Amino acid sequence: MDESEDVPKDFIKLKSEKLSVDEVSELVISPYCGAVSLFIGTTRNNFEGKKVIHLEYEAYTSMAETEIKKICRDVRQKWPSVKHIAVHHRLGVVPITEASVIIAVSSPHRTESLEAVMYCINTLKASVPIWKKTSQELGEGLS
Amino acid sequence: MRVSVLYFARSAELAGLRCETLSVPRQITALQLWEEKVRLHPRLAVIRDQVVFAVRQEYVLLGDQVLVLQPGDEVAIIPPISGG
Repeated sequence: MDESEDVPKDFIKLKSEKLSVDEVSELVISPYCGAVSLFIGTTRNNFEGKKVIHLEYEAYTSMAETEIKKICRDVRQKWPSVKHIAVHHRLGVVPITEASVIIAVSSPHRTESLEAVMYCINTLKASVPIWKKTSQELGEGLS
Repeated sequence: MRVSVLYFARSAELAGLRCETLSVPRQITALQLWEEKVRLHPRLAVIRDQVVFAVRQEYVLLGDQVLVLQPGDEVAIIPPISGG
């Protein structure tokens, strides 16, 4: 493949089905990249000292996609060598230990994709209109 | 002039609905728009200090900024976000 054919792409998806690490990492693979960096956010079994049964996510979907696109644009400005970016976020009920978000970034060398992934998740948490609701057990701490 | 109002998360729980249309003047401050919503859904008052708006999908603080609205614009109430 000629590098001019390997056009940098953003893959953004909000969906209620289980997320796949294989699927997301495969989206960003490129023969011109030696590095794929990944972040997986999974649901914890505790929040503020109480046991969590599951998390439930909702989104202002159209604006969330727009804000994630802005994040991708910012990533490409800060790290111009980044090739592909994939951000998948799950909506609805997410059971404990399952992934609520997966971010993958590819770049020729490792520093850029590692830094870009961290920037993506930090900025997503600060600016993308998505909300989680914890379903907790009442009045019980961790055993 | 009618705009669409969208409620999410805690604001949807307090208002008891997810969307409605509202008649507003073309020019209104963000604060005035909030007060109009609290008039319709008084339980929203408790989250006044935690919310921002999104007008045409751009964040707007609840202040004296004059919003210039078009018919059919989306105005969303945005409680503290917690995605990721």
